[in-house]
Amino acid sequence: MAMLRESQIMKIHYITGIAALFVVAAHILMRLIMPYNLSLEYDNVIANYHNMPYVVLLESILVLIAIHGFNGLRIILLELRQSKAWEDGVTVLTIVAMMAVIAYGTRTIIVANGLGFE
Amino acid sequence: MAPGDVYALCASGEDVLMEVADRNNREGIKGWLNPGRYGWERVSYWLQRLTGVGLLAYFVGHIYETSSLTQGPDAWAAMLELTQTPMGHLILLLVIGMSTYHSANGIRLIFTHGGKGLGKPGRPDYPYDAVSLNYRQKSGIWIALILAAAAMLYGASVLFGGE
Repeated sequence: MAMLRESQIMKIHYITGIAALFVVAAHILMRLIMPYNLSLEYDNVIANYHNMPYVVLLESILVLIAIHGFNGLRIILLELRQSKAWEDGVTVLTIVAMMAVIAYGTRTIIVANGLGFE
Repeated sequence: MAPGDVYALCASGEDVLMEVADRNNREGIKGWLNPGRYGWERVSYWLQRLTGVGLLAYFVGHIYETSSLTQGPDAWAAMLELTQTPMGHLILLLVIGMSTYHSANGIRLIFTHGGKGLGKPGRPDYPYDAVSLNYRQKSGIWIALILAAAAMLYGASVLFGGE
C-alpha cells in the first residue's frame, strides 16, 4: 500500500504541522479578544460559527490537525512493529479514523453555522 | 531456505537473501521509552511522541466537546459545567504546555531532518560522541521546554486569573 513515498508523506506532515501552528494561534486569539469565560458563552460561540472567515479557519484546523495527528500516530505505530500486514492495517485504520473525525467535526461546523437541516 | 527468509532477484538475476523472518521491534514500547540511551535527545524523542499522542487525544475530545453546540444552549452549558472546572483547567494547561513543546521541538526536528544544525562529520575519536548530538540540538530542546513552561504560566494566568 504505497500510494505516496514516505519522503512525500513526511513533507505533508511538516507542512500540515507548520500550517496548523498559524491557524491554531488564530483560533486561540479568538478566545482572548474578550474575557475567556465570556468568549465561551453560547451566543458568542455560535456568533463565531456564523462568521464565514472563522468557519474556514475552523475547517482548516480540523483538516490540518487530523492529517498531522493521525499520520503522527501512524509513524509511532510503525516504529513499534514492522510487517506488511501491520503497516497496511495501521495505514487503513489511521486513514479511516482521520476521515471519521473530519466528517464529524465538519458536521458540527455545518449545523452550528445554520446550514444544517435541523 | 529457512522458514520466513525473504529472497529477491537482484538486477543481475541472482538470488539474494534480503532479510530474516521476524522484523518486529522486540523492545516495543520499552525500547521507545528508555531514556537511558542517547541522553537528552532520547528524552526529546519520547516527549515529542507522548505530547503528540496527548494532543491527538485532546483534539478528538475537543471535537466531541464542541459537537454539543448542535444540541442547543442547555447541552452546551452542561458540557461547560463538565470541562470548565479546576480539573478541566489543569488539563487545558497541560495541553498548552504539550502543544508549545511539540511545536517548538517539531520546528527543531524539521531543521535537523533538513541537515541544519547537525555539525560536520569528523573522525570518530574517543569517547566517540556523535557530532550530530551537539549543543545546537541540546539548546533547541531546552528552548522548547522553556517556551512550554512560559506558555503554561501565561495560560494559568488566563484560566485561573479570575476573569
